[in-house]
Amino acid sequence: MSEVKQEVGPLAGFRVVERASGVAAAAAGRLLATMGAEVVLAEDPAGTLLRREPPLIGEGTSALFAYLAAGKRSVVVEGEEALHALLATADILIDDTPLDQRALLGLDAAVIRRRHPRLVHVSVLPFGASGPKAGWRGEEVNLIHASGEGYLLPNGLSVELFPDRPPLKIAGHFACWQAGVAAALGALSALWTGTGQFVDVSVQDAALAVGAFAIQRLGDGSVEHRTTRSFRFGGVLQCADGHVELLTLEERQWQGLVKLMGEPDWAKDSELADPVKRSSHGAAINQRIRAWAASWKVEDLVARAQELGVPMARYNTPADILAGPHEAARGIFAPIEVPGVGSLPVFTAPMRFGPDALSLAGPPPLGADQALLAQRHAEVA
Amino acid sequence: MAGPLAGLRIADFTVHAAGPFCTHMLAQLGAEVIKVESAHRPDIFRKPHPVYGRMGAATFDQVASAKHSIRLNLKHPKGIALAKQLVAQSDVAAESFRPGVMARLGLGYEALKAVKADIVMLSVSSSGQTGPHSYFAGYAPLFGAWGGLGWLSGYEDGPPVEMRHVMDHSVGLHAAMAVMAALHRRRRTGQGCHVDVCAREVASAAAGEALLEAAAGHTPRRWGNAHPRMSPHGVYPARGDDSWLTIAVADERAWRGLLAVIGRPDLADDPRFATEAARHTARVELDAIIAGWTREQDAEDAAARLQEAGCAAHPSWATPQIAGDAHLRARGAIVDAPEPDGRIRAAVGIPVRLSATPPRGIWRGTPQLGEDEDRVFGELLGLDRAAREALEAEGAIC
Repeated sequence: MSEVKQEVGPLAGFRVVERASGVAAAAAGRLLATMGAEVVLAEDPAGTLLRREPPLIGEGTSALFAYLAAGKRSVVVEGEEALHALLATADILIDDTPLDQRALLGLDAAVIRRRHPRLVHVSVLPFGASGPKAGWRGEEVNLIHASGEGYLLPNGLSVELFPDRPPLKIAGHFACWQAGVAAALGALSALWTGTGQFVDVSVQDAALAVGAFAIQRLGDGSVEHRTTRSFRFGGVLQCADGHVELLTLEERQWQGLVKLMGEPDWAKDSELADPVKRSSHGAAINQRIRAWAASWKVEDLVARAQELGVPMARYNTPADILAGPHEAARGIFAPIEVPGVGSLPVFTAPMRFGPDALSLAGPPPLGADQALLAQRHAEVA
Repeated sequence: MAGPLAGLRIADFTVHAAGPFCTHMLAQLGAEVIKVESAHRPDIFRKPHPVYGRMGAATFDQVASAKHSIRLNLKHPKGIALAKQLVAQSDVAAESFRPGVMARLGLGYEALKAVKADIVMLSVSSSGQTGPHSYFAGYAPLFGAWGGLGWLSGYEDGPPVEMRHVMDHSVGLHAAMAVMAALHRRRRTGQGCHVDVCAREVASAAAGEALLEAAAGHTPRRWGNAHPRMSPHGVYPARGDDSWLTIAVADERAWRGLLAVIGRPDLADDPRFATEAARHTARVELDAIIAGWTREQDAEDAAARLQEAGCAAHPSWATPQIAGDAHLRARGAIVDAPEPDGRIRAAVGIPVRLSATPPRGIWRGTPQLGEDEDRVFGELLGLDRAAREALEAEGAIC
């Protein structure tokens, strides 16, 4: 058996079977596993595609898989009956098999419903399991742009520098991650009712949901665009040794910023006293702020800003976060064993259920928990 | 009441975007969400927002919709007493003030537990309830910067990119999920808890593989629209002004399909592009060939033809295209929501479809401040008209 820590998360006692070849379904399983559910990867003999997906951190070791599969178990499932034996003991199935392949694998909704009436069957697909585009393929870049946020990025400094370039995705798998969270929410909501059912989650829908503000603005009469949705001033500032984010939305924060800049004469101009008028001079103000920030070191500037109540943050690199004192104090990284690489700190989860961080075990080698399948077979028989 | 969470009640002290999005999700799923505000401190959507050119209150606010509204003055001792009575009748108490504010008001976790032993308290904050930076104020762009997602996003040769409202709402979505996990434990064990959702950590969660790369001694890079494995992969110019087509070639089937659609089957035999690894190495060259084709294409039409051939593609959509899309409307991802004057506008639906217990959805728009006080103060807390008037006169309800 792969090592799974005995810490009791809120979902201890629930079993989840996961068939995931994409990030969204795997993220759903990862979130449920970190919250204490027993999540079993039901893999084909070759293993899920995610095991080979870059970025790689060693010979054939995927950082993406290690992150997403941390805390899960793995069984190799050959044939429909083995899969159904496993499902017979599960509370939740998460599946991202394309619609046209489900029947072949015994995974279509009608079969699952007939054979496992109490199971919560969560389908996670790029465009969902129903609607005119249900059969469409979609990767992260397609989906973040099909849901609105892609077209609106980049904003601020980046689009000022490169106004003619194509719009930009968020790094990594932001849209797919949202679908993972939505799938976990949908699974837990369905489970709450005690009624087995089909839960249909679409990456496009989930990414659109978190992009609700653009639809809000549309209803208010404004069409957002990446070149115009910048804040009037502040935003991304280049310092001597990195970048910071500055955002002053309230009057006292602007006053703090003036103090931070050493009370320059230009900031005392009567034209800038009123917040609305000040906004109309945003471009000129930003020129001054950018020139002023350029000579500062990030660490000194951020520390001084916090003292004065000016909302400012360093654009942290991944290495900064790993070394961060706040992150260390909160214990958000758990040491896990990554096969072929060794012990590494992995990010656990952004939620906790008390003062302590959730714990996590490493990703399972393929078929590490095969005994689980035999055991389940015996139980079912 | 309908929806999978029918019967659950939430005392909602959240403000701004992240916390309210959480309770908005739970409200759409059927929970009775009672939003607590006061005329002295109304939530931002009830005030003008000149930065966005809104000079009065919002007539519809997505994250406030499907909720009930009451007024309570949390600066008044009797307002606090009423808040506790409300929590005593609730399953969940949600808040998104800076850490420490609820405790100072007399509404910290211990105080709420004293009136409802198994309460699930949700706190949503910028940097979490613990740690040296827990008092830091923040907005979405700051969460994104602290959490690493901002640095990782951007053109390879450009600066980091500011994360916007998607960041707030992602925090709320995580919080809704966490609340459900806590409720399941309460049902199994009888124990409530204090759920701590940290916004900067939500930004990190979406970048977990890059954090692991760094932990392994590698230096994660900014990929822009490129991908560490796939090529072609990106956002390509299409016919028309500011029109773009996204394409991602995930496998050989997609590659062959793409070549057929663009009329270049000869490239299948080109040694520069013979394998996925070769295509990735030659991606700049390959992107130029693809862009040469996409430039002449209508984005919608090209996406449909590529999909037909097994290749993932979609136009980069502006908001109006999303609001009117047949697929999204068929799924209830875009719904019609009512304005107070009866007009209809597009809103975003709940991103989960449940076959046996469908979500309640946006059953009402944005409530008027205090619209549900007869129901909440009268029926739920059992206050008669005279008692309510006295509390209003004292400034506890206002």
